Amino acid sequence: MASTIIGAGITIEGEITTDEDVLVQGTVRGKLNAKDGVVVEHGGVVEADVTGGPLTVSGSVTGNISSTDRVDLQPGARVVGNVKATRITIADGAQFKGNVDMDV
Amino acid sequence: MATSSHDVTVIGRGARVRGRITGSATLDIQGLVDGEILVDGDLTVGETGMVASDLSGRRVVVRGAVKGNVTGEESVHLEDGAKVVGDVRAPRIAIAPGALVRGFVQTAGAGAARPRTTAAAKATTTATRPAAAHAASTASAAKPAVVPAARGSVPRGATLAGTNHANHTGAAPVAKKGPPPPIVPALKKGAKGALAKKR
Amino acid sequence: MAQTRTATKAHGGGHGMIGASTRVRGRITGDGDLTVDGHVEGDITVRGDLIVGEGASVTSNVDAHSVTVSGTLDGDVTARGAVRIAAGAKVRGTMQGEHVAIEEGAEFAGRLDCEFELPPELMGSTSSRKRS
Repeated sequence: MASTIIGAGITIEGEITTDEDVLVQGTVRGKLNAKDGVVVEHGGVVEADVTGGPLTVSGSVTGNISSTDRVDLQPGARVVGNVKATRITIADGAQFKGNVDMDV
Repeated sequence: MATSSHDVTVIGRGARVRGRITGSATLDIQGLVDGEILVDGDLTVGETGMVASDLSGRRVVVRGAVKGNVTGEESVHLEDGAKVVGDVRAPRIAIAPGALVRGFVQTAGAGAARPRTTAAAKATTTATRPAAAHAASTASAAKPAVVPAARGSVPRGATLAGTNHANHTGAAPVAKKGPPPPIVPALKKGAKGALAKKR
Repeated sequence: MAQTRTATKAHGGGHGMIGASTRVRGRITGDGDLTVDGHVEGDITVRGDLIVGEGASVTSNVDAHSVTVSGTLDGDVTARGAVRIAAGAKVRGTMQGEHVAIEEGAEFAGRLDCEFELPPELMGSTSSRKRS
């Protein structure tokens, strides 16, 4: 279980900073800065720039993503923004619009 | 990582939220939140939880620290270790020994208006809310004013003529009876009556 | 109920008692403990513990070591020890004490004034928008 969970039905408008992992099932508007993994589940809405470790999206992210690790856009994901990561996967059925920067 | 959908929201120990949290879910705060919290679900501020703003939920439990008003639609429980600087409001409130509070606290049944024994005391309590509370001396100075009021309410009682009978008559009858009592005690009577009628 | 009285101790005074059928109007002072089951209108200052029993009604400012209320109390309380407001009590006033406990089921309106410090994270925080 993630240490920070933004449940469905919850909206956070502002900045979340954590050195642990975050699971988003609800809505986050503002900024999301994690040191560890971030998961945006199906139904989760992030309208924020996101930084973190490994990042998995099956919900919606509008904002730039910057990961120290990998980013996985899973089927059903909808991401509008630039992605910076060491590795990235975009699954069949994921929607993505933006630039990818893989810092080669 | 958790994939099951809880309708519980957790702000983890190491997390810091600067902004508003709203919605309908159970919310468990173990980290720091600097922003208003407004949920229709149950809300817990855990031992390591800190909230630097007003918070409101259905049933609210606080074990951590809050600097802001705490409002429970149903109840507020402040457990041992809780530290609250702010007002606490809910129909039912429990404050455990070891929970520390600085602020105004109001449960249901305790009356919306907060009439006090004497006008002086009354004035002080209202004034104390934001400021420090030092009502004691002023209140005792005004005490003698109580006596004439008691007389006004005597007629209905067969036995002891005490202020307590006024509790059952309420404000209106007292005001009509006899010579008009001085304003200050009249206020007191009405106030006590209103309190008694609530039961 | 009034069972939490710390046994008779070194206040020097005895244990005062105002019975259920007794009505006092005036100031009460004492070195020992006091239990009120009747009606008191006037300030109460005791060195020991004050117990306001179920059914008692007290309209007083109170100064005591510890205070336990199961009845009705209208007035400000200053305690060096603990203040306890039991379920069923009806209390309004400012409570000052080492700590103040309110049981669920008590009716209370007033200020609680405990001396303590918030954790540093909440001190001087940006949100001084406490009161709306």
